[in-house]
Amino acid sequence: MSPYWVAYKIALQETLQRRSTLIMDRLGGFAVVVSLYSFWTALIGDKATFLGYTRAEMLTYVLALNVLRSFVFTGRGWQLVGEISSGKISSYLIRPVSYHGYALSLDLAQKTVHVAAAIFEVALLAALAGGEIFLPRDPAVWLMFAAAVVMSSLLFFFLEFMVSCLAFWTSESGGPLFCFELFLQFAAGAFFPLDVLPLALRRTLELTPFPYMVYFPVRVFLEKVPPAEAMRLLGMEALWLAAAFTAAMMVWKRGVRSYAAEGG
Amino acid sequence: MPVLKKYWRIWLRTASMAMQAQLTYRLGSFGFLLGKMIRLLFFFAFMAAVFQHVESVAGYSLVETALFFMTFNLVDMTAQIFFRGVYGARRTVSEGDFDFYLVQPCSPLFRMTCSSVDFLDIVTIIPVIVMTGMVFSRLPPIGWQGYAAYALLMINGVALIYAIHVLVAGLAVRTQELESAIWIYRDVMFMGKFPVDVYAPAVRWALTVGVPIAVMTTFPAKALLGRLSPAWFAYAFALTAVALPLSWWFWRDSVARYTSSSS
Repeated sequence: MSPYWVAYKIALQETLQRRSTLIMDRLGGFAVVVSLYSFWTALIGDKATFLGYTRAEMLTYVLALNVLRSFVFTGRGWQLVGEISSGKISSYLIRPVSYHGYALSLDLAQKTVHVAAAIFEVALLAALAGGEIFLPRDPAVWLMFAAAVVMSSLLFFFLEFMVSCLAFWTSESGGPLFCFELFLQFAAGAFFPLDVLPLALRRTLELTPFPYMVYFPVRVFLEKVPPAEAMRLLGMEALWLAAAFTAAMMVWKRGVRSYAAEGG
Repeated sequence: MPVLKKYWRIWLRTASMAMQAQLTYRLGSFGFLLGKMIRLLFFFAFMAAVFQHVESVAGYSLVETALFFMTFNLVDMTAQIFFRGVYGARRTVSEGDFDFYLVQPCSPLFRMTCSSVDFLDIVTIIPVIVMTGMVFSRLPPIGWQGYAAYALLMINGVALIYAIHVLVAGLAVRTQELESAIWIYRDVMFMGKFPVDVYAPAVRWALTVGVPIAVMTTFPAKALLGRLSPAWFAYAFALTAVALPLSWWFWRDSVARYTSSSS
């Protein structure tokens, strides 16, 4: 049996075992979604469309955020910072497994539980809101959405991994990581659709990999992107992912080379 | 008065130590500070951008909505500056440091809640005060009574937040778990960024009576705008008058049950 599969199963059991923590995490996240949902509902009011989104599309955007937050924004950055700072990373470096594969397994276990919980929450909120959500009918859209989301998740993982690797050189990497994650969530459209922003700012953000993490997948889901354009954007996302992966590996290798096992 | 003087000196000493620690970690502190600023500016930009497309939200104009948002930030940051210690309450208990608090000639509750000061929040609150002043200047003329009611309800809001923090600290002592309790509060507090009128009636009720985020963040701004009835005004203070003694009782009961098993 693959060690990564074993790591995934153990992490899954561990996450499910700490039920009170899980429920509290979800409750907190649910409050944020209810808040954004209510704000957008008040904004839309009686209007037929707002920023080019119908009521159902806009509310679907907010609900999709809950699922995407659980799937995309759950990396292992803070754990990596802690492990490097405490020296615990040494014990992983001498094991016959890839640290990235191991971290991805743990991350996937966390995503499995949180995405399942997020889907349940969204279904509950949609039911409470009278089922007013947008669901694409074309299977190709679902496939493109799935591909975009998987790449988004990996893109976040490697970007966060790269920033967390700062811990190899400084014990103060928590601050930059905190700043990076906050900026990334806003720039990705994880709080509001980027359509709200002035055109110049949106165009600037579109030159970065961030909108590919939330804004782009949700727009694909809402059929706001023509298929040919969606394929082009998927290609761009794949390029960003390749770049993030390469950069993260380079930083990791240099970091491990300079690692002095302080605290270990 | 000598007691107050003593606690003021303790607070100053622990605050000074916290500041020195944060100044030691310049890069980390700068990153956290920048992150807090980004969060503030992005939300403000979001509000401003939204009002390019609509004239009002739940009956409130841009300036009024900004007032709610800035009031939320003022109350929330003030509480974070003074009650930061609760964020590490579980660790304080599980690592045995709480035992030291118990033998020191100082209230363990004070040590637990108030003796850890985040100076980054003090730096962050300065632009918030400036922005709130800008919002005030764009409001129609308001009498001193409006500002007095605003200030009183803000103080009341901070007192309510204190009661919640004392409850969380009590939970940490009692269970040595529930690390997430304070983070749930943080997430639920997110709902206070918008005026409570945007929520459905059931949620609004829950936020006014159940977890009184509305009392902490929406009531002061509503009072300033002259939209808070005297009954709700009285309710806000009555709630705090009940919540504070209740939280202190819970704390004392939790400490009485504490067995020091962690250390």
